[in-house]
Amino acid sequence: MTVAEQEITDYVARVRAALADLPPGQRDELTEDLADHLTEVAAEAEGTLVERLGEPETYAAELRAAAGAAPGSGRNLDQRVASAVARVRGRLRTMDTRLGPPLGYETASDFLQLLRPGWWVLRGYLAAMLITVISTGGSFGLLPRFGGELLAGMIMLVGFVLASIWIGRSSGRLTRWPRSAVQVGSVVLVVFAFAALIQAEDRMRYGDYGIDPTSVNGPYDQVRDVFVYDSEGRLVENARLFDQNGNPIRLGYPDCEGRVDEYGNPLLRPYPYCVGRAPFGPRGPGVSPPSAPAAISTPTPESTAAPTSGPTGTPTPSGTPGEPSAGPTVTPSDTPTPTPTG
Amino acid sequence: MDTTQLLKGVLDLAVLAVLREEDGYGYDILRRLREAGLEEVGDASVYGTLRRLFAAGLLTTYVVPSESGPHRKYYSLNAAGRDQLTRSGKLWRSFATTMDSLLDDRGMAA
Repeated sequence: MTVAEQEITDYVARVRAALADLPPGQRDELTEDLADHLTEVAAEAEGTLVERLGEPETYAAELRAAAGAAPGSGRNLDQRVASAVARVRGRLRTMDTRLGPPLGYETASDFLQLLRPGWWVLRGYLAAMLITVISTGGSFGLLPRFGGELLAGMIMLVGFVLASIWIGRSSGRLTRWPRSAVQVGSVVLVVFAFAALIQAEDRMRYGDYGIDPTSVNGPYDQVRDVFVYDSEGRLVENARLFDQNGNPIRLGYPDCEGRVDEYGNPLLRPYPYCVGRAPFGPRGPGVSPPSAPAAISTPTPESTAAPTSGPTGTPTPSGTPGEPSAGPTVTPSDTPTPTPTG
Repeated sequence: MDTTQLLKGVLDLAVLAVLREEDGYGYDILRRLREAGLEEVGDASVYGTLRRLFAAGLLTTYVVPSESGPHRKYYSLNAAGRDQLTRSGKLWRSFATTMDSLLDDRGMAA
């Protein structure tokens, strides 16, 4: 590289440096044949480039003006970000003044300013609750606790609220980094507050506060099985219940062993589900072995006692009814079911 | 009022006019402008104006290899450039006439 070439290269570099605030594309476009051009200039006349053309910075300024690339028309990223921020600020200001009157204030921010001390107190409370959640490992109520200790939690609450108020009152004097830290912390607390509210909402909806759901629902919610007795006090087995529309009435749920396989669909299972749990004994003669037919015409004294005198009733001699349907009985058969009409 | 200020407004027109007669490269155009009497025109101004007119689509360029020196980028007027020259020329003429008569009315000798 000759001295002249070196001189030209340096000159171009300094011009480009002076145009550094332009977008790279525009700067390249402006200076792409500057070196060639300067070579011409250097070849045509005596003297150094600086003597002929002036300082590169002056040259750059003239070039910028002639090319119509004054600062502001061609902008780099920083300038574009700055102008975008300015635009957003302008919009917010417009919104601020628009929203003010409906609230009864000149601007919405006038109104929000009044709420600031309230936010400071709330922020202190939220900080205490955040510590509560962290120190107790996730469970929390409405009051702050420190490691489960309510008193310590209350002291912490007072301390945090006072500190938050102090920070709020002195925020104007904070330097940049502490101010940013406070803002980040506030955002964290707001996010935490929303998460906690959602969790609390879920707990309320699913009655996790000790409210027994049966007390507010139907009176049959606690019924687990149904036992039907006929006029003779005999337990009716394989009974089915229907409402006025012919819809089966389902109460309780079969939770005893043994008979589930017989009726795959629990809706088809007749009552009682669990014969062995009949509240009144003895079991009627209807379930007694072969001698039972006699019992139909001549009810035994014992059977009349049921169901009111359950405990005093004496078991029938054959009272080992493992198989309810054994032998001829008076129990309703399994098959006939009332046919809904209409 | 110095000529530099006046030049700012009419350098486009001057460059277009110089290119109308013949295509030229940067330094050549500068020299022609100076020969035409625009002594004070700056190198950077001409170069910058050429780049701007090119970016605006009024000029086309082509490179001519040179045996002695560097390759030269020649600028030439295209249709849009000629159009612009006609319009700007008329505007300048009417403006100059207005200024002339204004000065004449005030008794200034040409």
